[in-house]
Amino acid sequence: MGALSIRNVKKSYGDTHILKGIDLEIDKGQFLILVGPSGCGKSTLLNMIAGLDDISSGEIAIADRVVNKLSPKDRDIAMVFQSYALYPNMSVKKNIAFGLEIRKVPKAEQEEIIARVAKTLQIEHLLDRKPSQLSGGQRQRVAMGRALARNPTLFLFDEPLSNLDAKLRVEMRTEIKLLHQRLGTTIVYVTHDQIEAMTLGDRIAVMKDGEVKQFGSPQEIYDTPANLYVAGFIGSPAMNFIPVQLGEEGGHAVVVLDNGSTPQSVRLGPISEAQRAFVGKQVILGVRPEQLTDPESAHSDRTNLQSLQATVAITEPTGPDTLVTVTLNGVKTVARCHPRAAGHPGQAVTLVLDPTKALLFDPASEKRLA
Amino acid sequence: MTAASQGAPGFSLSRFADTILPKLVIAPTVLACLIGFYAFIGWTAWLSFTESRLLPRYEWAGFVQYIELFGNDRWWTAMQNLAVFGGLFIFFGLLIGLVMAVLLDQKIRGEGAIRTIYLYPMALSFIVTGTAWKWILNPGLGVEKLLHDWGFTGVVFDWIINPDFAIYTVVIAGIWQSSGFVMALFLAGLRGVDDSIIKAAQMDGASLPTIYTRIIIPSLRPVFLSAFMILAHIAVKSFDLVMALTGGGPGFATDLPSIFMYQHGFTRGQLGLGAASAMMMLFTVAAVVMPFLYSELRRERRG
Ligand SMILES: Nc1ncnc2c1ncn2[C@@H]1O[C@H](COP(=O)(O)OP(=O)(O)OP(=O)(O)O)[C@@H](O)[C@H]1O
Ligand SMILES: [Mg+2]
Repeated sequence: MGALSIRNVKKSYGDTHILKGIDLEIDKGQFLILVGPSGCGKSTLLNMIAGLDDISSGEIAIADRVVNKLSPKDRDIAMVFQSYALYPNMSVKKNIAFGLEIRKVPKAEQEEIIARVAKTLQIEHLLDRKPSQLSGGQRQRVAMGRALARNPTLFLFDEPLSNLDAKLRVEMRTEIKLLHQRLGTTIVYVTHDQIEAMTLGDRIAVMKDGEVKQFGSPQEIYDTPANLYVAGFIGSPAMNFIPVQLGEEGGHAVVVLDNGSTPQSVRLGPISEAQRAFVGKQVILGVRPEQLTDPESAHSDRTNLQSLQATVAITEPTGPDTLVTVTLNGVKTVARCHPRAAGHPGQAVTLVLDPTKALLFDPASEKRLA
Repeated sequence: MTAASQGAPGFSLSRFADTILPKLVIAPTVLACLIGFYAFIGWTAWLSFTESRLLPRYEWAGFVQYIELFGNDRWWTAMQNLAVFGGLFIFFGLLIGLVMAVLLDQKIRGEGAIRTIYLYPMALSFIVTGTAWKWILNPGLGVEKLLHDWGFTGVVFDWIINPDFAIYTVVIAGIWQSSGFVMALFLAGLRGVDDSIIKAAQMDGASLPTIYTRIIIPSLRPVFLSAFMILAHIAVKSFDLVMALTGGGPGFATDLPSIFMYQHGFTRGQLGLGAASAMMMLFTVAAVVMPFLYSELRRERRG
């Protein structure tokens, strides 16, 4: 059943609490992403899964076996490190063979495994080189090869791509995804890059300050973020947060957006119980840039799209789209428009908003009003 | 408008600062080097081919001094002592320094204090070390007397006055003084090893001793080389330590080439012979250091 279960795991150094009760559970073959800003405890959690750090309290089980007391080598896991951590004095081949040798795998079998791994990762021609004679991407492959050779039940990756240049990172990302699909192993993958998180993961845990802010599938996290933090962290360009006063009209939530000269009433989706409690109060409207666009680019099949007027402040062409910044209720708001409809600074434009995708947050608790 | 176009075609300040100033600054050092090292090496070499006695003479005399040197028992004792002293001093200096560094690397408490204590001997001059150890090893004053006072009257520890063992006392004192420094070198090397390499090896299932012997220590190759070079040159130029500890005695049992050279060149009025022995020392050092430098440089170029 559960390939990895983390139950109320805490970590503290003296009085500083690094992890404050983490609960996560994934099934065999799933790709779990731990994502969050620097210092939030991702590596600490990963090291605890690996057995490199001890667990202050709580329980970690790998393949339904509690491993709290097991040493790293008995946990049947392999890890790929951010700095690759290749043994500098050994050739690529020796690097891959080292773990097998320690585990007393027969020589002939070792050769077989090395050949298979080298073929999978296309590093056959590098086997006799020392790590210092490899490029970053090649080192990355060797580090993965070393993990693959052991054929463990669980793979751990700690920001494996963060030392690569942008282009290579995209390539390796695809490759890791392919590898996962082919081998079907369970992977825990740490990153602070939300694009990596979205593209690779089956399950994403968004962490901050030693807590999991939300745990779910990439689409869940993208469409229904649990709180302001997750909403702002995932997605690029980031979600717009506009302070509004919530009203109700015929069973729908209504907000007023002021472009500086005219207040415009915008009708959102059917109001929920949680939202109704905030009628008449200040809430935060969350709108992703792609849900605020020019009328032509808007999906024409969507009914009751809400249109509003605004004045262009800045335009930023990205190629396929142009990001148009306008001011609504006094805050800079980004809309993703077709380059042709983007206008130019100072010009008035009409934007349409998809009311079904708009989210409302409680400014005090920062939670989404579901 | 650039400085060059302002000053052209005459004097230009930026050109002066770029090209002439660095040379000017370096010049005294280069000059001092040329005269201090190479001119005197040349002069010594020349003297070794003359019949100089108390004062330098410059008439060519061929290899007479070298022939005399190679027929001299005392010279061969000195060379033999250098081999024993150098070999043991370097080997145990490296070993003890490495072991201490590995032990200190285990994140123990009070590391800073221990490191300082180990390093202190390096702050002493070899004269002080020699004198202190002379007392410690003196049978009537030091360790032997202490053990006798404690009731172990059968113990004999008279190496310092025993011609067959005296050279080992020099080894002990030398190691005492230098191993702390070697430890500091190795410790810096160990601290430079990426933490995640150790973690990776742990995950691969290696035990701590295996991690050290198979991965960390082999990757300290450059540190070994530096430590070896430093110890080797301390060994070859060792002079003050022996002078303070044993004065070359008993007899000339602890003579080293440097002492031989000093005594013949400056106190016995045999300048030519002293010069010849100095040249032999130079070749000894070169013979040890050159292959290392060569292989290291070649590795770098290939790597
Ligand atoms: N030995 C330690 N003693 C005290 N605090 C520590 C120790 N190790 C880590 N921490 C703290 O734990 C927190 C989490 O560290 P961790 O390395 O897990 O962060 P991270 O999420 O991996 O960050 P990054 O993205 O920068 O790698 C940090 O605030 C760090 O200062
Ligand atoms: Mg980290």
